[in-house]
Formats: sequence, structure tokens, C-alpha cells
Amino acid sequence: MTALIGESLPRPDALGKVTGAANYPADLVRAGMLHLKVVFAGRAHARITAIDTAAALAYPGVVAVLTAADVPYNAFGLIDHDQPVLCADTVRFQGDKVALVVAESKRAAAAAARLVQVSYEDLPIVTDARAAMQPGAPLVHVARGSNVLFSIPIRKGDVVQAFAEADIVIEDEFSTSWQEHAFLQPEAGIAYVDEQGRVVVETAGQWLHEDRKQIAAMLGLPEDQVVIRYAAIGGAFGGREDLSIQHVLALAAWRLRKPVALVWNREESMIGHHKRHPITVRCKWGARRDGTITAVQAELLADGGAYASTSQEVTKVAAIFANGAYNVANVWVDAYAVYTNNVPSGAFRGFGAPQAQFASEIMVTRLAHALGIDPIELRRKNLYREGDIEATQRPLPPGVSVRECMEAVVTELRTRRIGDGGQGREQSHATSHLRRGIGLACGIKNVGYSFGYPEQATATVELYGEQAIERAIVRVGAADVGQGTHLAMRQIAAATLGLAPEQLTLITDDSSQAPNAGSASASRLTLMAGRAVHEAAKAALQQWQDEERPAIATVQFRPPATTALAPVTGEGTPNYCYGYVAQAVEVEVNTLTGQVQVLSIISAHDVGRAINRQQVEGQIEGCLAQALGYALLEHFQVRDGRVLTPHFSTYLLPTALDMPTEIVPIILELADPNGPFGARGMSEMALVPLAPAIASAIHDATGAWVTQQPMTPERVLAAIHAQTQAPRAGSTE
Amino acid sequence: MSTISVTVNGRTYQSDVEPRTLLVHYLREQLNLTGTHIGCDTSQCGACVVHINGQSVKSCTVLAVQADGAEITTIEGLAQNGQLHPLQEGFWEKHGLQCGYCTPGMIMSAYDLLQQNPNPTEDEIRHGLEGNLCRCTGYQNIVKAVQYAADKMNGSGNSPGE
Repeated sequence: MTALIGESLPRPDALGKVTGAANYPADLVRAGMLHLKVVFAGRAHARITAIDTAAALAYPGVVAVLTAADVPYNAFGLIDHDQPVLCADTVRFQGDKVALVVAESKRAAAAAARLVQVSYEDLPIVTDARAAMQPGAPLVHVARGSNVLFSIPIRKGDVVQAFAEADIVIEDEFSTSWQEHAFLQPEAGIAYVDEQGRVVVETAGQWLHEDRKQIAAMLGLPEDQVVIRYAAIGGAFGGREDLSIQHVLALAAWRLRKPVALVWNREESMIGHHKRHPITVRCKWGARRDGTITAVQAELLADGGAYASTSQEVTKVAAIFANGAYNVANVWVDAYAVYTNNVPSGAFRGFGAPQAQFASEIMVTRLAHALGIDPIELRRKNLYREGDIEATQRPLPPGVSVRECMEAVVTELRTRRIGDGGQGREQSHATSHLRRGIGLACGIKNVGYSFGYPEQATATVELYGEQAIERAIVRVGAADVGQGTHLAMRQIAAATLGLAPEQLTLITDDSSQAPNAGSASASRLTLMAGRAVHEAAKAALQQWQDEERPAIATVQFRPPATTALAPVTGEGTPNYCYGYVAQAVEVEVNTLTGQVQVLSIISAHDVGRAINRQQVEGQIEGCLAQALGYALLEHFQVRDGRVLTPHFSTYLLPTALDMPTEIVPIILELADPNGPFGARGMSEMALVPLAPAIASAIHDATGAWVTQQPMTPERVLAAIHAQTQAPRAGSTE
Repeated sequence: MSTISVTVNGRTYQSDVEPRTLLVHYLREQLNLTGTHIGCDTSQCGACVVHINGQSVKSCTVLAVQADGAEITTIEGLAQNGQLHPLQEGFWEKHGLQCGYCTPGMIMSAYDLLQQNPNPTEDEIRHGLEGNLCRCTGYQNIVKAVQYAADKMNGSGNSPGE
């Protein structure tokens, strides 16, 4: 039955999704439920002087208006509980919640929400990350005494000496912008108190048991008095990791003891949930004439927005990838996340890795140009090998395969005769305004939780029958946000048990029925939850052989331990597994308009073992679309703390026409030591190298480097003009 | 309140609707046909595409009263006698969906496309689906799903509009 591993079985959930029968959170709303409307702050920074709810309460059909006083424990957050559920005295960003109006109809709730009178005294705002670090800057959280939310140094070797001895040193600054998850299903859900007196929240999320924990804490209830159930989830990408509506639904249902529904529109979704961190990277790279990269110094500055969310972790991830996937003896990194009055930044596919490697991959290509070495050769010389030491002074976890990924891309490039690997290619349209170029980049991203955060996944397998096993139940609290995890779990369990996939019942979406498998994040579920399912299935089989009927086994899987980074040196073991990727792209740049069309993408991934090849390719292709949007189109704009792009009419997502018709996913299967059947995570990696690969291709086409993301037509055009007018400033190449 | 008469998936309804009710809200909230999704409110995403008198329309841009007297098909009405439409099969077989939220609108748009052009090229498929956003798949398998349906519909001799 291990033949099931790798097989492209179709998804069981597809039937409901192609017929319209699948229930997403907004489909759970029933007649008779109360409707909740959030009253947002609508301003970046202010003191609340009064909240008058009388007019709203008097509106026909209004049942209640809840404010901070109604929240038992008015603080939440994935790491720091620094965010109020409902603001009592201060609002710190546009999307802060001030009150909840609950009414008998959606319309009454919306109308009454406009009647909630909040009196504000505006406070000075700080919306620039660097300005937020200056003495005297307005404080976002006064009690903290500083806007620096988090900082981490990483020190390896002696960069001063290394730069002094380097034959070539280049420096530059890169910036990336916010990115909106734009899952197509806006936040929605229902909540009620069930006959056992438990508050039940049915919604979409990424981690049943974490949602439960935070909501139980907010309500002051034991965790088993809170039940989280996930409906069909319409995408997540990190955007459902933080609580957005789950807690306020629970609060209203618990307070009123009645079923309550909430469906956000797109604008509420865009303003109300966190974004990818904008990060500015100032960096300096040094190398010897022979192509050995000897030193990297970098300062990373992340705009964390008004609340911490996962800023600490994102900042650390970005910091450890300041040197990309390259073995560099001397590394000096200072990374900061700061509070501002912008929308909070948090988890988004890639989690800090894309921002850091936008800078590092461009720097490696530029070093190659400066040294007169083929960028592929320079990478061959410096890419991580098995046993190399990370910037945190510990050996990489086993299974280092970034070289194999790059070689697969190089081979594919040559097979397809797309350029000659990025060097000295003839311009097919040398005299035209349409110029083609090729770019290549590599990437690294952790799989699973990092820096000593407790990492575990638990699964239960139950076997039923008399002589032979007739059916099995697999319980694993792992969210399928669209990525196909439930099918992967089914294939792993069926293969381990020697059963047909149809003989299994999966219980995955109820915190009271399925054990905690951790979050659908960090590309971790196939490895972590999959391994727990695999081990639980083996243990249940053993019990079955020992004549137990039914045979029931629960296994908690823990991977090799990671450690916190030391506060002064950053020393430590950050991760137990990495995913590796390499990509090449061909682009066509319109030198009159600055528009960039991506013509083809080759993306090679070491996935350890593809549990379902079709699903793996789907993840690569989908991630590439998000990466292409991030690189070129998706320009989330905020001015003075106000979001200027709260709709899909102004925040542009890639359409079928923006994607190249030629996408070549290459799947390498170099087994991971911990993954089930050798599988390792892969769902984020395609987002890491695409933007720098496109930047290199734009340079190949035009001679200009674009160092700001997204690489909008205006920025591309400005770079082309600057390049034709003067040699690039700030570079000694 | 206005009274409208519409035929949805072959069944006729007389309904009282507020004049400002959007067709998508009428379908979802009054008829409980929740397979038609709302993704954006500004007519960009196409998750709400249905057919009015055989033509694909974003149902968030149409008032329910404008559909008075019309025949409407939603995703729930596409399978006939328990038999999936080739497009539904295609999206399943070719992995043209992940989260699935865009899928009903994609299928309804693709249906209209194949009605007008039974043998579309890849480029024509991409142009035909330009008004539908997908955040999960990167569109590659959506194109393959539509090609699968076109092949099947042509091979079996069925007209796409049947």
C-alpha cells in the first residue's frame, strides 16, 4: 500500500466544492441568528474620551452594544497579549475594534454601528519604522517606553577583518512592502452556546487549539468549555493565524447566550487583519577574487504595526536568512521590529524569508557581476552544503539540498534552451522596447516552528473490525486551508495501515474531537501531523496484532529540539528542518512603460517525498502566483496609517493573464530524516526566490536594478532611467 | 418590497425582495443557495458568477429585481440527475481547485466561455477567465480543467450549451 505515497489521488472535498454544497463560514448563517457588526476605530492613533452607545441601543432590532467593559480578559495575541479585544482608552491603528453591535438583522447591526458615538482625542502618529526608533517619537504603547518591539543581533566570525581583507565589497538598501493575504473567503463565522454550556465557534482558522486557548483566556473559561470547529476554509496563507473575528463572535455569543453570526466584507477583511511585514534591508557583502563570499553585514528593520502578532518570530526568521542559503564565515546582523500606527504585520507564507532573500539573492548576483564570475558558478562555490554552519553558529539540520535544486534548474534551462543560464545572452529584441531577460535565484525557508518554540503534533488512530481491519478513524486537529492536508493525512494513514483510503474516516475540524496537531503554518503539517498520523497508525497496528479490539493509539510526535537564540550573539539551533528551492524566470520588460511580463518560470523544490504529486505541484503553482503578485503587482498602500487600497479594485491580484503559460515545477525527493516516508514541507518555498529572480531578469533585460518591492512599472521605469543617466549610487561594483 | 418571479435551476420562485437587494444576496439568503460566493463586493473576483438567461453575470452587480422573469442557473443547478457537468469533473480531476471558494464562479464563467467557443486555445481560456480571481492554484490547473471539459464535451458530441 505504500504505492499510495506519491499517487495523485483526487481530493475528497472537491465534490462539495464543484457542486456548491461545501459550507464555508458565511454559509452557516441561519435565520434567527443575531448579527454582529464591528465598530472600527477608523483612525491611526487616538485617546478614547467617551463612548456613547445610547443611540445605537435605541435602534430597532438592536440587542446589545458591547464595549471593553464587557470583555473578561481584554488582551490577546499569538505571542504577546498586547492587543485589546475591544479598545478601552487608546486606539493604535485604523482597524482597532472599539465596540460590537449585535442586532436581529444584518442591516440593523450595520445601521446601529454608525450610531455608536465614540469621542476621540487624536494623538501624534508614527507610521515610518525608522522614525519610530528615534528618541522622542510618539509611543504606540506608552507603557513599554519604546517603540522597539523586538531586536536580535547575530554575530558570527569577524566581519570587520573580513571586509578589510575582501577583494570586493558592495552595499545597498532594499525595501519590501506589505502584502495582503487576499484569501478569497473573507472572515466569517457563527458562535453559540451549546446544550453542554460550551461556547462553540464555527469559522475558518489555521489552528483549532490555539484559537481555543486564546478565546478561553479571553472569557476566563477552562479550555474544554470552548469548542472551535472549522467549516470549509477559503484560503489562509498565514492570514488566519491571528484572531480576527473568532474571539468577538465568542464574546457576543457568551454574553448574550444566543447564536451570533458575523460576515466581514472585503474592506473589513483588508483593514481588519494583519499583513506581511514591510522590511528594509541595508546590507554589505564582501568576497574574495576567487569567488568566496567572506562577509555579510545587514540591518533589517521590520514595520510591526500597532500590535506584536508574530513580529518577533518573523524578525528572527528574516535575520537568520540575511546571508540567504550561503555558507558565509563572517556574519553580522541587527534585526529590529518596531511598533507603528500602521496595520499590524504578522504571518504570511514565507514568514520573513522572502524579504531577507530579496536582498541577499540580488546581492549574490551583483557580487558575481562585480567579480566577473557566472552567477551560477558563484552560487556553486558558496551555497550551503551538508554540515555547513549557519549564521547562528550551529550546523544545518541534515538534508541540505539547495545545490541539487539549483542544478535541476540549470539543467532544465539548458534543456529548454532558455538562455544560457543568465550570462551574456543575445537580446532577441535588441532594438525593440520589449527586452527579454533571464534571472535565477535560490532560497531557504524553515519547516516547522523555530527558536525553541514547543513543537509537537498529536494524532489518534482507531481500528475497528473482527478478523480483519474493516475501517479506521484518524483524529488529527490539522486545518485544511485549501492546501490539501486532509488528503495527505489520508494517504499517509492508508499507506501505513494497508487500507484503501475510502476505509478511513478523518476527524480534523473540531477541537473537542481531534487532538492538537499544531497550526497550518510554516509548511509543517505534512511533516509534523503526517509523522504523528504515521506513528499513531503503526502503534494502532501493533495493538491490533496484540488482539485489542478496537485498537486505539494516540501518539505525540516531537522533532529534534531547537533552541532560543542567545541574546548577544544570536547563537543557537534555530530549526530542525529546512526546505530548499531554486528558480529561473524569463521576463519581458517594456522599456517605455516599465511593465514586466513573466514569460516562464522553472521552480525546483526538494520536497523529501511527494505524498501526492498533483497536490505538491498545485502548491508550487499557487505559491508562484502569490509570489508573482508580491514581486510585481500587489502594492498595499498606507498613508498616515490609513489603508488606501482596501479593495480588489485598488489592490491588484494576479489574474490568469498575469501568470506565464509556462510554469515548470521540478520535484526532487531527497528524503528528510524526520518526515513521514521522507516528506518535508514545501508550501512556502516558491515565494522565497521569485522576486529576486525577477529582479535579476529585469537587470538582464535592461541593465537596471530594481531594489524596491513590488517592482511596479513606475519603479522599473525609474530604475531604467537612473541607469541610463548615471552609474548606480551606493555601489562600488 | 417588490415581488419578483424567477426560475432558478429549473424551479420557479415568487419572492418579495427589497428593491436594493443584490441578486447574490437574494440567492444566498432568501433561497439558501450558498454555492454562489461573495469574495469582494466590488465586482473584481467573480466568485459570485451565475447565469441569467444563459449568460454569465457577476451576481453582485445585479439587483434581484433586475432578474425578474429571468431564468437563473447557479452552481447547484449544473449537475444533471446526479451527473456532474464535464467542467465539474474537470476541476476535480485536474486539481483545478484548492480552497474551492472561487470554484463555483470559475466553473460558471468557463461554462459561458465554452458555450461561445467550444474549442478555446489556452490563451482564449485565460482571457475568458480574466474576470475571476483565484488565490490558490496559480490558474495552471484551472486552464487544464477547462481543456478537459472542452475535450469531453466535444468528444461526446454534446453541445456545451446543453
